[in-house]
Amino acid sequence: MIQTITQAVIFPGLLYVLVWAVALFWFFRKFMAVLHKRVGPKFNGIAGSYQTLFDFSKLLTKESITPDGVNPYLFSTMPPLALIVAMLPAAFIPWSEGFVVIDTEYGLLALVVLIGIEPFLLFLTGFGSNNKYSFLGGVRILTQSISMETSFFLAALSPALLFGTLNLTTIVESSTWFSFLILFPAFVLYFIALLGLLEQPPFNIPDAEQEIVYGFLTEYSGTNYFLLKLSQFAEFMAVFAGTVTLYLGAYKGLLFNSYFCFFIKMVLVAMIMMTIRASTPRVTLAQMLKFSWKYMVPITLLNLAWILLAKSMFFMGV
Amino acid sequence: MARDGVLMQSIKDILKNFDCEYVQDYKKIWIKAKLNSKDDLLRLSKELKKNGLRSLSTVSPTDFLEENIMEMNYFFEDLATKRNLWLKLDLAREISECKVESLTPLFPSANWHEREAYSMFGVNFLNHPDLRDIIKSEDYSNKAPFRKDFDWDAHEKNTLLNVQTIVDSFKKEQENNEINLDSDSSETILNWGPTHPASGPIRLRVHCDGEDIISIDPDIGYVWRALEHLVTKKDFVGAIVAVERLCFMDNINSMTGYAMAVEEIADVKITPFASWMRVLLGEVARISSHFMGMGMFFMNMGLHTLAMWNMDTREFFLDFLESYSGARIATASVEPGGVRYGLDMEMFVELQKALDKFDDSIDEVDAIFVKNPTMKLRALDVGVLSEQEIHEFGLSGIVARASGVKTDIRIDEPYAAYGEVDLEYITQKGGSAKDRFEMLFRELKQSVKIIKQAKAKIQEGVASGEMNPTKDHMVKVPKKLPKGEAISRVEWARGEVLMHLVTEEKAKTPYRLKLRAPSFNHTMMVNHLLKGKTLSDIPLIFGSLYICQGDLDR
Repeated sequence: MIQTITQAVIFPGLLYVLVWAVALFWFFRKFMAVLHKRVGPKFNGIAGSYQTLFDFSKLLTKESITPDGVNPYLFSTMPPLALIVAMLPAAFIPWSEGFVVIDTEYGLLALVVLIGIEPFLLFLTGFGSNNKYSFLGGVRILTQSISMETSFFLAALSPALLFGTLNLTTIVESSTWFSFLILFPAFVLYFIALLGLLEQPPFNIPDAEQEIVYGFLTEYSGTNYFLLKLSQFAEFMAVFAGTVTLYLGAYKGLLFNSYFCFFIKMVLVAMIMMTIRASTPRVTLAQMLKFSWKYMVPITLLNLAWILLAKSMFFMGV
Repeated sequence: MARDGVLMQSIKDILKNFDCEYVQDYKKIWIKAKLNSKDDLLRLSKELKKNGLRSLSTVSPTDFLEENIMEMNYFFEDLATKRNLWLKLDLAREISECKVESLTPLFPSANWHEREAYSMFGVNFLNHPDLRDIIKSEDYSNKAPFRKDFDWDAHEKNTLLNVQTIVDSFKKEQENNEINLDSDSSETILNWGPTHPASGPIRLRVHCDGEDIISIDPDIGYVWRALEHLVTKKDFVGAIVAVERLCFMDNINSMTGYAMAVEEIADVKITPFASWMRVLLGEVARISSHFMGMGMFFMNMGLHTLAMWNMDTREFFLDFLESYSGARIATASVEPGGVRYGLDMEMFVELQKALDKFDDSIDEVDAIFVKNPTMKLRALDVGVLSEQEIHEFGLSGIVARASGVKTDIRIDEPYAAYGEVDLEYITQKGGSAKDRFEMLFRELKQSVKIIKQAKAKIQEGVASGEMNPTKDHMVKVPKKLPKGEAISRVEWARGEVLMHLVTEEKAKTPYRLKLRAPSFNHTMMVNHLLKGKTLSDIPLIFGSLYICQGDLDR
């Protein structure tokens, strides 16, 4: 009982997500600043590290406005729900050797399903906002997640096929340098689909501020906005952790195995994402759809064929 | 070219067939004429259009209260052969009598200019397809604020009531938005602005069906400062602060245009040093504007990096402006008679720093952003303007040159020291949004080349003793000007700015200053370019037209 509460509240639960969100936000700002040739937050704390804390606490204490004419229940239940759903995948991730909250044979399935539900909740926030921009943002996020999730799931399936299991711990344990090479195309595809799923450039279409203001987030303020932002960062964590678990050997390090290695790998994935963000403009919805269904889905299917071929060639009898 | 006179003569031949008070040569490439009867206007315009004068640059009424005349000024331009006609026409002043045939059916570029004349002066245009108020807010409806007998004080006494009128009409419009539409369709009206992240102070009423745009009706005037009226309240030097606020990005060139018009009326010739300084400062301002324009283009596609990089380099150019004038943005540094301040040659150290920084960093921008494949994917096929449309809608600047039209006032009608500068037309072929972006980049490089020339020229002149940088910057311009009028054109960062200045006898203030600004024409194209596109294209195309709301509303 105590253990469950600890896991839910501290690690890998709420507190961990909070610390992760604050740290990642700060890291995003600093890393982005370097790419932008500017300084970034600077005055509060070491290298401006308190700034994000202040921003989050400011948001948390601000008035949360519920606009006229919306369904207040739908409008206000979605943000906490989105946060909880975004935090759940953390329970299935093997964070370090022998540490996983729920060790199940269906870990991978739980991971992709929980990640896949999130956009639908965000769609409902847009649907419940009674704002044209929010609604457009909601429709966009649904369109995008439907087309990107297909290739996301297919790419995530590759390690399961290769190792013959849906258990994440087993996947991590059986991964080697050689399996990483075989899974590399799947990793790239998974990463591209991840950009679409997390609404990151070039696929930041649902909250394209120059087009539809802030998409589904337009009407949110104060605590509700804070919760949605936090759920976005929790989602980042889930997807990054998923990447690291499925393809990069999770907690396995060159010299020693620990959570530290896991963390470094997650930051690396974040850095790749940020670099793409700093150099690629947004594509349109139509271009995203075309890209997804014309290229991504067929290539991920081809990739599955490659995995099966590799398995029959190198892993027969394993 | 027009300067050989044959083509110029053909305009005069046309005018011979009409009843004109006078026809005279004006400057090198202008003809100035006055029609006696307003009934001839439409027929004459048809002939002119056939002759090749395809663009109507602007329509500018001047209100002569004492003579009881509303004088109309039409500026016809031929961008291809560089021939221009300044046509005048007198109308009766009374609102009921003050009407003239609209030229919009012949010259689409006249559309908004006639609406502006209608809103500000109450001139009624017959057969205009869409004669509604533009720019001015609702509290001015049925009033003509730019008429000389308009009582501004009386109007402003009821400020609260005026604000209430604006709010009421906006609310009424919003309430009726969807009611007026077909109830069976999924069409809706989206307000893109005026507090939209990418719009700036303009509102596009976007009629859309989901993501698809049906039509767009721009609502402008959110930063209307009535600059054209404001200058008439200031003296000739004080007016520069109003003129430079056309748009803060490139404030120098607009002041140059105004100063040239005043100098023409005062019959003053400025020194070579001052004219080279105008070139130098003007190009620095152009660079500052183009840097922002390039950054905004990518920002409209959700990428902020280029804007940040450009800011980094732009600061060095602003440092130079600061060292020269004490201000980074609104410099107020060009005035009638030359440039406002003398030059300390030490300031060139700042300029050299900026030039070095530019040379160091520009290749990176080229490699990462100008050749960016995703940008090309987005911008290659959208917002395409043909050469024909450039002429018809009187577009200018980078927008015109991106479609392959060779127009550049710096070359067509050289002012300041541009006659001695080595520069050529930079054009692109495609006319798409991407071409307009590339134009900005290439012109940026050209401007730096011009700055280097101007800098070398000034240094040479000072070294040889021809120029005295502390004394030559100003020629005295009398405080009182004679009765007269003049037009001047400059190649502003965003396109052609035409100024029409009218003075009275012993004038201490301008009687009328018409500012023809390029963004006004460019915004006219928004509906034309975006019809049938998707919402994602709005910021991209709108941004690529290089519009500044400052000179849109004035």
